[in-house]
Amino acid sequence: MIKSAFDPVTLATPFFILTVILEIVLARLGKAEARYEVRDTAVSLAMGLGSTIAGVLLGGAAFATSLWVYQHRLFDIPMTALWAWALVFLAEDLAYYWFHRLSHERRIWWAAHVNHHSSQHYNLSTALRQTWTGDIAGTWVVYLPLSLLGFPPAMVAIQKGISLVYQYWIHTETIRKTPRWFEAVFNTPSHHRVHHARNPRYLDRNYAGILIIWDRLFGTFQPELDEEPCRYGLVKNLGTFNILRVAFHEWIAIGQDVVRQPCHVLGWIFGPPGWSPDGSRETSRQIKARWAAGRAAEPEQRAA
Amino acid sequence: MLSHAFVIQVAASGAAVAALVGLAAWARIARPLDPLSEQSARRHFAEEFPDHPIEQVWVAVDGAGALAKSGASALVLCRLGDGYVARQVPWGQALAATFRDGRITLALGDVAAPKAVISLAAWPPKDLAA
Repeated sequence: MIKSAFDPVTLATPFFILTVILEIVLARLGKAEARYEVRDTAVSLAMGLGSTIAGVLLGGAAFATSLWVYQHRLFDIPMTALWAWALVFLAEDLAYYWFHRLSHERRIWWAAHVNHHSSQHYNLSTALRQTWTGDIAGTWVVYLPLSLLGFPPAMVAIQKGISLVYQYWIHTETIRKTPRWFEAVFNTPSHHRVHHARNPRYLDRNYAGILIIWDRLFGTFQPELDEEPCRYGLVKNLGTFNILRVAFHEWIAIGQDVVRQPCHVLGWIFGPPGWSPDGSRETSRQIKARWAAGRAAEPEQRAA
Repeated sequence: MLSHAFVIQVAASGAAVAALVGLAAWARIARPLDPLSEQSARRHFAEEFPDHPIEQVWVAVDGAGALAKSGASALVLCRLGDGYVARQVPWGQALAATFRDGRITLALGDVAAPKAVISLAAWPPKDLAA
């Protein structure tokens, strides 16, 4: 069992609890825009608790690997220097962007991340609906270059925690828009609502952790549009509140596909979610293309 | 081995989860959801299956679900919490589904949504059963 002595997520837990209480009470009083369904909330919070336990039980391999990589580091970066923290802030946030993008674009990593998107709600409890299987999926390899560069693994772990705590408050419908300068640079509730939406226009957009600049830079940015309210959840929403199905359903589905068609094992595991050898399913890209084609045809249909 | 402090932390978090779920139950702030009508069911189907022209719709007697025929497919809409879940199965499978005590039970063949139960006045429809 390996756990950093300074863990921002553990320290922030009382803040998580208090703000969920605040959001629920304000919504009850009609002072905030938030919807909470009881079983959905129970699943989100239980997933968060389970994720903490899974992280402690399974996180050792990831941390040990980063320590091993750190022993072969290119530079010595001091944990005590302010510039080093500024640098790790940027480097971790860039790594997070790619970790998150891969978590949506490759099925094996989506299997670990899908549960975070499985609620049809978007409130502060949704932020806590975290993975139980991220360490097994190996998504942490994206962060290894940071250790190779010379950032101490504890420093990276702390920055990852800070990023996770930052991303908590953006899971809300209560805050509509922040000042324009802030929306331009930082990930905000508005940007992240788009990320959680299942509308074709919004699929696979806004992967940012703290800085939205990465999405702007890599062409995955999509602003929230007043004319298209976000509909939350998955392309195919879950039909159950059974927490084990929530946590493991995509892993089981991968297993079923591989057993049925082992000759397509690579596609089933590393293809994008929705990939199938016969094209009978749809990937996000195909859904977006179909939606765009339908939209393009609308004016012609109206003219006819 | 798990430390004593961690066990206490998990126990306290578990208690907090129970309290928050209780608070959410007290607040009653789920989405208001009217029972489905044919019109609202068609709207949901159009949203979920934009490329599937709907031939006929059967709305559940309790308004908590609906079934539609679209070519060789049956489109299924089921209420879950304060939202809906949609799936598509072969029409023949829907026709052959178990109908007992006024409810049709459809196996959806999906680990994420294993089955749909829809209350209908009768099933299968006489004109389409052949």
